[in-house]
Order: sequence, then structure tokens, then C-alpha cells
Amino acid sequence: MSEINAPMGGKVIEVKVNVGDSVNEGDEVVILEAMKMELPVVASASGTVKEIKCSSGDAVDAEAVLLVLE
Amino acid sequence: MMEMDAKIQELDRRNNEAELGGGEKRIEQQHAKGKMTARERIAHLLDRNSFQEIDKFVVHRCHDFGMERKKIPGDGVITGYGTVNGRKVFVFAQDFTVFGGSLSGAFGEKVCKVMDLALRNGAPVIGLNDSGGARIQEGVMSLGGYGEIFKRNVFSSGVVPQISVIMGPCAGGAVYSPALTDFTIMVKKTSNMFITGPQVIKAVTSEDVTAEELGGAMTHNTRSGVAHFAEESDRDALNRVRELLAYLPQNYRERTPDTTCKDDPDRTDPGLNELVPANPRLPYDMKDLIRKVLDDGVFLETHQHYAMNMVVGFGRLNGMAVGIVANQPRFLAGCLDIDASMKCARFVRTCDSFNIPLITFVDVPGYLPGVQQEYGGIIKHGAKIIYAYSEATVPKITVVTRKAYGGAYIAMSGKHLDADINFAYPSAEIAVMGPEGAANIIFRREIEGAEDPEATRDRLVEEYRNNFASPFRAAEVGYIDHIIFPEATRPRLVKALEMLREKKASIPERRHGNIPL
Repeated sequence: MSEINAPMGGKVIEVKVNVGDSVNEGDEVVILEAMKMELPVVASASGTVKEIKCSSGDAVDAEAVLLVLE
Repeated sequence: MMEMDAKIQELDRRNNEAELGGGEKRIEQQHAKGKMTARERIAHLLDRNSFQEIDKFVVHRCHDFGMERKKIPGDGVITGYGTVNGRKVFVFAQDFTVFGGSLSGAFGEKVCKVMDLALRNGAPVIGLNDSGGARIQEGVMSLGGYGEIFKRNVFSSGVVPQISVIMGPCAGGAVYSPALTDFTIMVKKTSNMFITGPQVIKAVTSEDVTAEELGGAMTHNTRSGVAHFAEESDRDALNRVRELLAYLPQNYRERTPDTTCKDDPDRTDPGLNELVPANPRLPYDMKDLIRKVLDDGVFLETHQHYAMNMVVGFGRLNGMAVGIVANQPRFLAGCLDIDASMKCARFVRTCDSFNIPLITFVDVPGYLPGVQQEYGGIIKHGAKIIYAYSEATVPKITVVTRKAYGGAYIAMSGKHLDADINFAYPSAEIAVMGPEGAANIIFRREIEGAEDPEATRDRLVEEYRNNFASPFRAAEVGYIDHIIFPEATRPRLVKALEMLREKKASIPERRHGNIPL
């Protein structure tokens, strides 16, 4: 199991996966907005999305858990 | 004649004894860990048969704890000189098979001797580290040895390039020698560096941490920034030294030798016109841009895994070695934070020390806002970038690809810090802040008093963007020397660099500056 964290504080503008989706390492899973830029958050490992801990519009802190993979 | 033969045989015997180091069993153990021996490392690092060893028969002078009966010629470190791609280098390699590579007084003197030779003769020093630390039996003699090495690291700093390769343990005081050198390369899995090891940490603070987590190659390449490269094997690490040396001069008085360039200096790349997205909210990979511009697309990135919002490294333009500094919009929006500031400033000073021209690619939204950044001292760390660029007298060429806002615009080799040539792409936005922030402040009353504040804000933001978020305002006052077509980046840089080849500049005389550390 691995967690995908926010690389910096910002606003979630898109969650690109659903629970149960399988993702590969390097896939874009969430788009964050920070410093007026859209930052793709990529999967740090391959796996299946077990839990989504954020939704569009949420403000998140740096290091916040966005997704849990297994 | 017989007598002479006997003397030669004795030299043979002693040479063989020294070359066996700690003996076959220990050599096997070294190999079993996936490590090369000190002699194998030197042989791989240097040009074939170029190594000239000195101090091969030095032994320690310890008469305590039974050490007087245990003497091994060389005393745990192999020193000498040779060549890398035909260029002179000095080298010392700690031999873990001899007393665990521990440092005695005599060992320290051997290292100091090659460092002194390197300094006097103006050539790089490469240290291959693989040592258990101080030789405890020698007490303060060992500490004295470290101190003498550290001092020489400092005196050599900015005079000759110093490269450290960590190929085994490097703990306690021993870490400070690599820390004082220009570049540190670590081998994955077999090397670690820490001031105090996991056992001491456990005893003092009850924290559980493995040696690898605490001070392994990736720890120092990602979290601490202590190391500049992480390599898979001894062989890879030594190859990296050879690669890195090609970009460095022999000493501060010289320039890195040019190479013959087969890549057309006038080569344009239409792909560059499309690389920076028109939408300022979208990221791109700055390293794609760097590779398209450099000779043969070859870019040697240093600190690749650390503060990835800043990219630094070496390349060539029409055969001339250059240092590249660039914001990376793909990571943390390319903002300047504490780690990126230190990474950038250190690299700029490294290049300036060794006459390597600086090419800076700018796409920076600003310094990273945040409580942790302020508490961590982003003010003093961010100031390092300004300090380093201002004092750098090597040729400085800047290309603003997109955003250059506020203090970050000035810091990233802006015209005002004596950059020689400042280019901008037509996509550049050079202003005191982004259109959203600026419009909110300038037109606050107008927005608040409007019937539809949102629509008014959007209109004014757009107006501001059109009028100010461009390179033309800066070009009108000469802060930007020229607005260039992105496809022509390479020829523009090559011609500017050639124009600046004989640049002479100096900064006011003083004892030394006082960079905010």
C-alpha cells in the first residue's frame, strides 16, 4: 500500500482517477493548483486506487494524503 | 652484481606486500560487498597505466595497544597522481582492507601530501572514501590528521576542483572533508554518511533509523542535498568523476578546454516555438528545452534528485563548457524555496570559481509563500541567489522563457545583477507580480464598487495581462537586451557566449564578502 501526497499546498482542481482504477507509476492522478499553476501529481508507484481522500475544490496542505494505492 | 639483484628483489617483495593491502581474505570480503578495492578503483578512474604512486611504504607510528606489531605498508590509503583523459589529477583512495581504512597520523600526512602537490601544481584532487573513521589507537594524532585535511580542503576551495566519492562508510568527523569539496558522489547501497550513526541516535534520542535511511546515497541526494550524484556501483561512480572532470578546468586560472563540436552552432529548433505552453497555468519540462539547446543534447545534471524545482548542471555550446541554471515549472511550479535557493547559489559560485559561463533559463512564479519557509529563513537563503549572481564575474546570459515576477525576476540573473545579455521569449511575462495579484491591488476600489465585481476583475486582469505581462515593457527600458524567437535560442546563446569570451570584470576589493550563510 502506498500513499500519494500533495507536493505542495494548493487547491485540488481535478481528480483524474476513481476507486478501483489501476494506475501505473508516473500516471497523473490529481491536478493541483498552486502558485497560479496547474501541477500534475503523479503516482509514485503502480497499483489500484483504494481510497480517494480529496475532491475537486479542496484546499490541501503540503504532504496531505490525496490518494491511497494498493 | 648479486648484491644489486638482491636489493631489487627486496623492492619487488615490498611492492608486492604493499599491493596486497590487508590481505587476500579482506580483499575477498571487499568484493563480496560488491565493492572494488582501492587499487582497482584507482585503476578504473585513471587512464590506463597512468597512476604514479607515492608513499607506498609509509607505516604508522603507534606504539600502543599492540599496534607496534601490526604494520601494513601504505597504512590504509593509496595516494599519487595520474591522468584522466590525458589531464593531470591527484588522487587518494582509502583502503578499507587495511585497519578498516581508519585514519592514522601517517595516513593523514599522506593525504595532505597529495593535496599540497595538487594545490602547488594546479590540478584537481579526487578523494575515494571508504573508511571506518578515526584510528582510535592513535588518539589525537588521528584527529590532527583530519584537521590538517579539512584545512587543506578549505585552502584548495576555489583554487583546484575537489571531488569526493563515497564508496563505503564515512562517519563522524570524516564527513567534513567531502562536505568541504565541490562535488560529492555516493554509491547506492554500499555508502553512507552521517555525523552520528543509528546506534548513537537510538541511545540519545530513542529514534529508530537504519544506516541507509539515515545517511544512504538517496537520503543525501534527495533530502539533505549533501551529495550531488547517486550511482549504482563503484564503476558508475568513477565513470561519473571522469565525465564531470571534462567540464572543469584544472584550476581557477584556466578555462575548461573546448571540445570540437559536431553539432551545428547555428542549428535552430522549431520545436522550441511550441515547447512553452501559451497557457501560463500549464507546466512543461524545462529539461526538454535545455537539451534542445545544448550540443548534441548532452546535459550533465548535478543535484538531480534534490530541490527539483531548480535544475542545475553542465553542458556545452559550440564546444564551450557552460553551467546551466533553470527553474523547473513541472515541480512546485518552479518556485524558489529554501532548498532551491541553496542549490542554485552553490552551483553559481562553483561555476564562477572555475571560469565556467552561466546560462540561466527563467520561468519563476516567485518565492514560495508559507510559514515553514519564513521560519526556515527563506529571507537569508533566498538572498544567497542574489549574492551569488551579483558577485559572479563569469559571462552571464539569461533567457526568460515565461514568468519572471518580483524579487525572483531580479534574483534569477536579472539585468540589475550585471548579467551580460538578457534574452526573453515573446511568451515572457516580466512584471512586479502576476496579473491577478496586480489587478486586485491596483483596481481594488474599481472592483469593489462595480455592479458585477467578478466580471470587472476578470476584465481588468485581462487588461493588465495584455499591457504588462509581456517582455516589451522590460525591453523598452533595456532590461531585456533582445526578444528572440524561441527556435533561435541555440544560435543566439552561442553568439553571445563567443562575444563574451574575453570578458573582464571585477567586484570591489575587500577581505572577502559576507554571504548570508
